[in-house]
Amino acid sequence: MSVGTLVRRFFLVEMAQGMWITLKNHFRPHITMEYPRERPALAPRFRGVPRLRRDPGTAEELCVGCLLCEQICPDDCISIVVDKRPGGKGKMAKSFIIDYERCCFCGLCVDPCPTTPITAIYMSHDYELSDYSRQEFITQREALVDGHPLKRYAK
Amino acid sequence: MDSRLLIENVVIPAIKVAVVLGVMSGAVAYTTLLERKVLGFIQLRLAPRRVGFHGILQPIADGIKLLLKEDIIPDQADRVLFILAPVISIIPAFAALAVIPFAGRSFSVMGYEITPWITDVNIGILYILSISSLGVYGIMLGGWASNSKYPLLGSLRSAAQMVSYEVPLGLAIIGPLLLAGTASMTGIVRAQETQGMWFFFPQIVALFCYFISGVAETNRIPFDLPEAEAELVAGYFTEYSGMKFAFFYLAEYTNMIVVSSIATTLFFGGWLRPFPNVQALSFLNFLDFINPALSGVFWFAFKVFMFLYLYIWIRGTFPRYRYDQLMNLGWKWLLPLSLANVVVTAFILALRHG
Repeated sequence: MSVGTLVRRFFLVEMAQGMWITLKNHFRPHITMEYPRERPALAPRFRGVPRLRRDPGTAEELCVGCLLCEQICPDDCISIVVDKRPGGKGKMAKSFIIDYERCCFCGLCVDPCPTTPITAIYMSHDYELSDYSRQEFITQREALVDGHPLKRYAK
Repeated sequence: MDSRLLIENVVIPAIKVAVVLGVMSGAVAYTTLLERKVLGFIQLRLAPRRVGFHGILQPIADGIKLLLKEDIIPDQADRVLFILAPVISIIPAFAALAVIPFAGRSFSVMGYEITPWITDVNIGILYILSISSLGVYGIMLGGWASNSKYPLLGSLRSAAQMVSYEVPLGLAIIGPLLLAGTASMTGIVRAQETQGMWFFFPQIVALFCYFISGVAETNRIPFDLPEAEAELVAGYFTEYSGMKFAFFYLAEYTNMIVVSSIATTLFFGGWLRPFPNVQALSFLNFLDFINPALSGVFWFAFKVFMFLYLYIWIRGTFPRYRYDQLMNLGWKWLLPLSLANVVVTAFILALRHG
């Protein structure tokens, strides 16, 4: 053991260094987010629950009932019944059900969606999904398009 | 037997005991909050913030929670000892406060002279040593009476640890005692006043030994082997819940305060302001205009607070010692060091006084 090591040990230099680091930590800003009051800033590509949306111009439902999302879904959580679009050409989803209990938020359903200029199904930024009964997780088309009321935990 | 004698000998001591108990319970409660806050800051967290402004009412909420909790006594436990153990551990902790001088000068209320300590016996420090070493019985009985593995292991560790650290603790105290020439708590502080220095300056080694042993005696991190939560669930109070659990906690924090108070009295001049004999610094007793006793209390509380902060700061910094390291430190380092300190101090004093 060299003299330097001996001196360092005897005067507890490492211990003093440790104390100095914790002392410095007193004055660093905290990293806690007080969650219900403060919210994290989500990245644009954040994947919350998948939702449907309307054409921003005409407010028509964008989904054309092609069933591509139903087929690609790895969890089989999407089930669609297709019908003719009333008073127009093409088809639409008569019933569009997403079972969030199964959804793994992979975002694969968005990739094959053929509608232009924006996809009919998209990953929204809603992530507060806890609820009291399993029925609540099976979401119908109306709720998917127009948004269902999320529980607000913040006061 | 007139009423004045009765008041002086019965009523006033009873009131003083009540005040000390009340203030110390409050101080203990807020020490827990201080601990959580400081640990939070060290770990870049926010610590309790929901109850009251910045969590200022958190100890009260904790107390209510613990009072309302179900009080479970295990089926196979020794009922009498199980109930007695928290009481046994808390009584010595509070009893040790009886001889601690909180301020130097007495004050008068309605013509009665009141001293700012409960009692001043001429063997004060011996009294504290003997009383506080009784606290280990509470821990041992608690661990044994639980009739469960982890508490038993924890209490065994605690017994071994307390026995080995009592020795350097006692030896470290001898240094200041030699310098002061008295074992009375007020006498030690007065000696520091007349000699014009706090004893930590000549007795820095003793302070070091005393404080490390004190941390070990109170079972605090990095010497918290009796309650090592990673190994023993919660050590000796694993089976405890509700108010009995709170009693163990209360005893631990009271012991922290007692250890800090003794360190303040022996090494840091108790109620004295810094540099007690330098007239130019007398403005430091800025509470004198209200009452000279009050500035004594202020400085005493300030120093104790600093020690408590050091306790918590150490807790936030160091990991727990291994069991053999703990024993090595106690027997191979602290004991020879404190013994050497006693010898050197005695030698120098003998040379100086011829």
